[in-house]
Amino acid sequence: MAEISFPLPDLGEGLIEATVLEWLVSPGDQVERNQPLVEVETTKSAVELPSPQAGKVVRIHGGPGDKINVGEPLIVFEVPDNTAGIVGTVPKEEAPKRRVRLSAVLDED
Amino acid sequence: MSNSILESVDAAGDSTPGRTGTSAGTPASTIVMSMQQALNRALDEVLAENPKAVIFGEDCGQLGGVFRITDGLQAKHGAQRVFDTPLAESGILGMSVGLAMAGFHPIPEVQFDGFAYPAINQIVCQIARMNYRSRGTLPMPITLRVPSFGGIRAPEHHGESLEALFAHVPGLKVVSPSNPHEAYHLLKYAATRPDPVIFMEPKSRYWQKGEVNLAHGEAGAGSPTGAKVMREGRHLTLVAWGAMVARCLQVAELAAEDGIDIEVLDLRWLKPIDAEALAASVRKTRRAVVVHEAPLTSGLGAEVAQLITQSCFDTLRAPVERVTGFDVPYPSGDLEDEYIPNIDRILFGIQRVLEYKRG
Repeated sequence: MAEISFPLPDLGEGLIEATVLEWLVSPGDQVERNQPLVEVETTKSAVELPSPQAGKVVRIHGGPGDKINVGEPLIVFEVPDNTAGIVGTVPKEEAPKRRVRLSAVLDED
Repeated sequence: MSNSILESVDAAGDSTPGRTGTSAGTPASTIVMSMQQALNRALDEVLAENPKAVIFGEDCGQLGGVFRITDGLQAKHGAQRVFDTPLAESGILGMSVGLAMAGFHPIPEVQFDGFAYPAINQIVCQIARMNYRSRGTLPMPITLRVPSFGGIRAPEHHGESLEALFAHVPGLKVVSPSNPHEAYHLLKYAATRPDPVIFMEPKSRYWQKGEVNLAHGEAGAGSPTGAKVMREGRHLTLVAWGAMVARCLQVAELAAEDGIDIEVLDLRWLKPIDAEALAASVRKTRRAVVVHEAPLTSGLGAEVAQLITQSCFDTLRAPVERVTGFDVPYPSGDLEDEYIPNIDRILFGIQRVLEYKRG
């Protein structure tokens, strides 16, 4: 297993920090990609941050009311080794399927 | 090779393609790892062996890359040698030109195939020809890693096959590994070249594991240049590269059920192409099908077909067939199984060759 840290992303032009309003996940939770993780408030708006990936939550940083700077750790996931990248999925390894049969009279010269 | 006028003097004196057959035996230095791990290991070793090597790109540093190819390298080798860049491919490659001029060996990453387009000017007009333009005084030892091809259900610009575009540019070399072993050795080789190499990583194969023989040279990996016979056969040669090699090996197994003995040639180097290996294989099998994900028209399959025809015209039993993607923009993930050559389409291509009748 590997740990992957997700830092607070840049939430908008010029914003350098955000305040945690409410965590929607807890350590130990298994989350899916795009699942809402946390509600944070910036000087512009309150937003829910979707998870960048699937994984098990190991740690969350900051409780309600705490300020977190952009780029500082927000949440740490535990993922199996060799999982998909952040974009796309891992192709399934399937037994090859066929419908086409070959037929040929081969001249073995 | 024919483009030697564009090549720097290679210190290793090893720019001649040579073929390597399937290796026999399992040496002690063989370990099982995924292509992602193999590439990561190769980069780690390159950084350790060459103090002038630097790795950079979007998310390459802190995050370790969206596919984790550079995972842990910044922590180990420092943020001056493994670092993040802005979302600006032209800048990433432009910076590579300057670094190469200053004596570094840049190993930039363009995060996805389709993101290379904004950098084409730097790649084609600067990187590919600076050595030529400067009469050999400004070589461009740049290894450009490009996660390439489709198959992972990703959005637009994340599944494209640019090999023909790069291969058409004088001054560039192009290579694509098909499995973890090839990935490790080809990347280590590419990253020590004095000339620019476009290294196309088949992203759909990042997580499949395979045996990697870490030993170099004839006792281990064999030659890192030229094509490689991945399966020997008598009746027909399937020519492929990148992710299509694994699919062609599956097809060869299925064809064997029907009594058709297929040879699979992993082209590996897409520029320069190992014409001798194509000739040697097809002179034996007398039939050939080229498989690639890229669109048909002006794809590299046409070049391969011509090279085979040139050397094997008298012995060919049928015109060389191409089984490829279609002449459309790469489709969304829901449709990519229809786009990428699948087992049945490859078998149909084989059947067309098998049943061809002269005159």
